[in-house]
Amino acid sequence: MPDRTPTSSSDSTPHASLGDSLATGWDERGDELPPPDWGRRAGARRTGTVWLFALFITAMAGAHAWLSDRLTSEAFLAWATVFTAISFQALPFLVFGVALSAALTAFVPASLYQRFFPSRPGAAVPVAGLSGALLPGCECASVPIAGSLVKRGVAPAAALTFLLAAPAINPVVMIATAVAFAGRPEMVLARFAASLLASVVIGWIWVRFGRADWLRLPAPTHAEGTARWLVFRDSMLHDMMHAGGYLVVGALAAASLNILVPREWLLSVAEAPVVSVLVMAALAILLSICSEADAFVALSFTDFSPTAKLAFMVVGPMVDLKLVAMQAAVFGWRFAVRFAPLCLVVGLLSTFVIGGLLL
Amino acid sequence: MNRIAQGLTLVLLGAAALTSTVPTNMYLNWVKPGFGPFLIAAGAITVVLGAAVVAAEIRDGNRAEDDGADNSACATAGGDGHAGHDHARAPRVAWLLLVPVVAVFVVAPPALGSYTVERSEPASAPPEGPPSGRFDDGLDDAAPGEVVRMDIRQFVMRAWVDEERALAGREVELTGFAVPNDEGEGWYLARLQMACCAADAIVNRVLVTGVPEPEADTWWTVRGTWVEPEGELVDVSEHRFQALEWEAVDNPPDPYEA
Repeated sequence: MPDRTPTSSSDSTPHASLGDSLATGWDERGDELPPPDWGRRAGARRTGTVWLFALFITAMAGAHAWLSDRLTSEAFLAWATVFTAISFQALPFLVFGVALSAALTAFVPASLYQRFFPSRPGAAVPVAGLSGALLPGCECASVPIAGSLVKRGVAPAAALTFLLAAPAINPVVMIATAVAFAGRPEMVLARFAASLLASVVIGWIWVRFGRADWLRLPAPTHAEGTARWLVFRDSMLHDMMHAGGYLVVGALAAASLNILVPREWLLSVAEAPVVSVLVMAALAILLSICSEADAFVALSFTDFSPTAKLAFMVVGPMVDLKLVAMQAAVFGWRFAVRFAPLCLVVGLLSTFVIGGLLL
Repeated sequence: MNRIAQGLTLVLLGAAALTSTVPTNMYLNWVKPGFGPFLIAAGAITVVLGAAVVAAEIRDGNRAEDDGADNSACATAGGDGHAGHDHARAPRVAWLLLVPVVAVFVVAPPALGSYTVERSEPASAPPEGPPSGRFDDGLDDAAPGEVVRMDIRQFVMRAWVDEERALAGREVELTGFAVPNDEGEGWYLARLQMACCAADAIVNRVLVTGVPEPEADTWWTVRGTWVEPEGELVDVSEHRFQALEWEAVDNPPDPYEA
C-alpha cells in the first residue's frame, strides 16, 4: 500500500532546499476550522439545506417567468453573455482537470511520481516543464493537477513549473497557435520557447528562494485503507468546490472588464514599443482568456507588434485574474500574492528575450 | 457549505450545462458549436458527482443517526480529522458556483448583438491577410456573374486586403444582423466572429446603402455589390455595400461566424 500522507512522502524526498521541504503542519484557514454547529444534529441541518435548495429552485423558476420580458438592459445582457461564455468555456476543462487530478490522487501510487521526477528539485524542474507539453488542457485544468502532484510528494518547485508550462505549451494550444498564426511558424516557436523558459526559470527561482510555509498544501484527505473510489469522489468534490468557486470570481471580474473597458482605449498605445508589450500583458491578466483561445485573440490585436502579441500569449496562461483566484484556492493567498508577480516579471523578461531573438 | 449543499450545487451546475446543450441550443450564444459535446460530458460528470455525494451523505447521515452520533462531517475523513481540518466543508466562495446556474435558468443570456457592435469602433488596421495567400471565400472559384455567398468576415477581408480588387463588380450575398448607424446614411450589417467563446468575439461589419434601415438586431440576407473605395484599400476601414435585394432571416442557427 503506497503511503499517501505528505508528511511521510516528504521524508522519502530529499530536502534539497527550503522551498522544497514540505511543511508538516497545515496552514489552516478560518472557514475550514470545525464549524460552529459541530455536534448539532446533522439531520436538521441536512433537511434545512434541502429546503433551502428547493426554495432556490422555485425562486429561479418564478424569477425567470417574471423577468423574461423585463430584462431589456442591453449592457446587463451583454455582461451576462460574456460571463456565461467564460464560465461554460472553462467548465469542461475544469471538470476534466479535476477528474484527472483526482484519478492521479486516488489510483496512481506516489512511488511512480518519485521515479518519474528526478529527486533533486533543480533537475526535476526542467523535466516538469517538458512534461507540461504532454497534457492537453488549459490553465483551469492544470491548477488542481499541480495541487495533486504536490500532495503526492513531487517537489513543489517542479509542480509549479508544470502548472505554468502545461497550459502554455501543450499540443492543443500549440496547434491553436499555429492555426491562428498560420504561415508564421516563428510565432509558435517563440511561444513555446518563451513559455518553457519562463516556467523553468520560475521553478529554479522557487527552488532557490521559495519558502515552504508560503504554500498552504492541500490537506491529505484520507487515511489509508479508504476505498479508492471514495478518495476519487471526495478529491474531485473538494477541487470542484475550491477551484470552481474562484473560477466564477475570475469570470465575474473578466466579464465586467470586458464590458467596461473598450478595446479602443488600448489601441492608442499600440505604437509605443515597450508600453505596448506591457499593455498587452495587462490585458492578458484582465481578460483571463483560456490559453486554447488566446492566440486568436492576440491575432485580433492587429495594431500591436509581434512581441506584444507574444507577451499576451506568454503572460496569459501564467497570470490572469481567474488563474490567480484558483491558485489562491488551492495553495493559499500567501502563495498567490508572491507567485503571481514573480510569474509576471519572469514572463515579461522571457518575452523580451525570446521576442528579441526570434521575432 | 455542508456536503449536501455541495452535492446539490454540483447537480444544479451540471443541469445548467446539460439544459443549455441537450434540449436547447442556448450554448451557441456563448461558445463554439464544436464545444457542445464537451459541455454535455462535463455537465453529465458534474451531475453524477453531485448526486453521488448527496446519496452518500444521506446514507451516512442515516447511519449516523442510527448510531446516535453526529459523525457525518468526518464520515469519510478517516476519523482522525487531520489537525482539525474538516474536509467535508467547502469555502463560502463555492456558493458562487450557483451564479452560472442563475445565469442560465433565470437570465438565459442571448447572443451578443448590436449593443456590442455599436460600442466597438471599427478596427483601425486591416486583418492579417489569408495565411496561404488564398482567400477562403470561394470568390475565385465562382463563375463570373454567379452570386457568391460569403461570411461578413470574408467580405471584410477581401475588401480590406485584396489588392487585386477581385470583389469589384461581383454580386455577393451576406447574412447578419442590423445595427443602426447614428452618423450619416445607411446602416450596418454585422456579424461577430468568435475564436472560442463570446468573451473574445470581434466585430465585422459593412455599411449597407440602398435599402431602408431595419430594426436593430433583426437578421437579414442582403444581396449587393461592394462599393469600391478610392485610394489605398488599407486606409479604408469602413466597407460599403450597395444593396440590390434583401430578405429577412428567421433565427439563424449559429449567431457567430467562425
